[in-house]
Amino acid sequence: MAQDMQFANPKVGMEPAVPQDKIKVEINKLNFYYGASQALKEVSLPLYDRKVTAFIGPSGCGKSTLLRVLNRIYELYPGQRAEGEVMLDGKNILVKPNDVNILRANVGMVFQKPTPFPMTIFENVAFGIRLYEKLGKREMQERVEQALTRASLWNEVKDKLNESGLSLSGGQQQRLCIARSIATKPEVILLDEPCSALDPISTAKIEELIDELATDYTIVIVTHNMQQAARVSQLTAFMYLGTLVEFGNTEEMFTAPKDQRTMDYITGRFG
Amino acid sequence: MASTMNSTTATGIGGPSDKVAGGRRLHSANRLFRALSLGAAVLVLLTFVAMFGVLFEGAWPALHQFGFDFFFTEIWNPVKERFGILAPIGGTLITSFLAMLAAVPLGIGVAIFLTELCPRMLRRPIGIAIELLAGIPSIIYGIWGLFVFAPFFQANIQPWIIDVFADVPGLSMLFAGPPYGIGMFTASLILAIMILPLIASITRDVFETVPPMLKEAAYGLGCTTWEVIWNVVIPYTRTGIVGGAMLALGRALGETMAITFVIGNAHRLSTSLFAPGTTISAAIANEFSEAVGDLYISSLLAAGFFLFIITFVVLAAAQLMLRRLDKSTGGNRA
Repeated sequence: MAQDMQFANPKVGMEPAVPQDKIKVEINKLNFYYGASQALKEVSLPLYDRKVTAFIGPSGCGKSTLLRVLNRIYELYPGQRAEGEVMLDGKNILVKPNDVNILRANVGMVFQKPTPFPMTIFENVAFGIRLYEKLGKREMQERVEQALTRASLWNEVKDKLNESGLSLSGGQQQRLCIARSIATKPEVILLDEPCSALDPISTAKIEELIDELATDYTIVIVTHNMQQAARVSQLTAFMYLGTLVEFGNTEEMFTAPKDQRTMDYITGRFG
Repeated sequence: MASTMNSTTATGIGGPSDKVAGGRRLHSANRLFRALSLGAAVLVLLTFVAMFGVLFEGAWPALHQFGFDFFFTEIWNPVKERFGILAPIGGTLITSFLAMLAAVPLGIGVAIFLTELCPRMLRRPIGIAIELLAGIPSIIYGIWGLFVFAPFFQANIQPWIIDVFADVPGLSMLFAGPPYGIGMFTASLILAIMILPLIASITRDVFETVPPMLKEAAYGLGCTTWEVIWNVVIPYTRTGIVGGAMLALGRALGETMAITFVIGNAHRLSTSLFAPGTTISAAIANEFSEAVGDLYISSLLAAGFFLFIITFVVLAAAQLMLRRLDKSTGGNRA
């Protein structure tokens, strides 16, 4: 597949960045429309298994839109539609018969701002698990503890699991949301500017966490912050005006970009 | 003072002294504003206290004469000047309770439909219809209830209900007696219809305050629309929903005109919901003009005083309940 795409879209530097890796998600000639206006144009790129891929680009370039296609969350709004292929483990998720709820349980998402549910800390994590699994009390407690530990939040909340999720600080809330996402054992985690509402210390903690999570999950992060992209990702996609301009190894992209527009963006000439 | 400001800006020299003058001007305006808003707040409180005092004073002769029996006897005999308000209290509580029982789930349902499920095209027309319904004067519900709904109910629905529940123990007692058309049950239904748009429109407004991102987060976990509404939207807006329901309950408890038309105005507390009854406000509205004798008037005032207390207790209880709920789960949002 990756071979085909090279020819389909030769402008994109598509030689497999980390060749030995398995492709988890393959986006193929994706077009996206908000009503009549087209937000994504013929976007094709692979997302590698257990790697962090960063989407960067100026505001309105379509990077968040691309992210929102991956769990079909855009479908909540009438008038938004996607055309093309998004193959997750070889199955096109955009084909309607696919159960969108199962898809979303497999593709977790974390948003710009922390979105804890109006429940206790424990329930915030248990809620998602309960949607798809029937667990006994003991098993549920273990699962919640696992998820919170994995999100490096357990030590901070273990004594107040019955307090409201809203009583936590912003950074803790965001880690709670990450715990909630990984509790349902997804395979892909989508992070939509997860640190944009956080202070530098919380940001550092989340970035550290992303690093750890990448051993188990395929992670996609949309970020405005290029340093962040450079720090946390192995692969970077640069988007501009709805098209994918360049995709490749993060280190190469930031040191020797192939496209002039990428160069201009990462050196701060626009965006 | 505005002219001083103008002159300084006109000369274009804003020295330190000018700033002090400007600051002082603002300061006095601020004080005036504070005094005005404080006054308004105190006025509300004073009105409340005065109303309470006047009602209590007027009610005192009856309360003194009949003691606690006043609240627990069903007798209402103006000729012998024997008064007890058990029937109107019962009528008020029963009709309001039944109305809430029907209108709260329905109202929330309408709000859910409007915010989450309704096709965009229908959203505005239905929304406007509901607001209009909420604004219809109660007298219109009253005449509609008396001339249209009650006869229809009497001819078509009541006999059927009496038949169906005739052999069910318990329920046969609740739905017994001749089908009058008017009565407690009809009054409750009319009340429910009246408060339904109120609950629906308030609930819809608070549903719209849920951040889209929060809903997306729930959908993003794989929730169905129902699960999102039940687990996220309703808990998040709980305070607002209860607030709306309490407003509706306040209206139901105090509703006078429509009830007076359809409840039958009998000072009786029957086990059958189809029997005529009365409520506190209906009794007052019906009888104040013919109330001769101090004890009669005082008894009506005492009934009003009790209604005042019921309303107050209901609102206080709702506040208390919300505070307890918020502590455990919701967090401190309005």
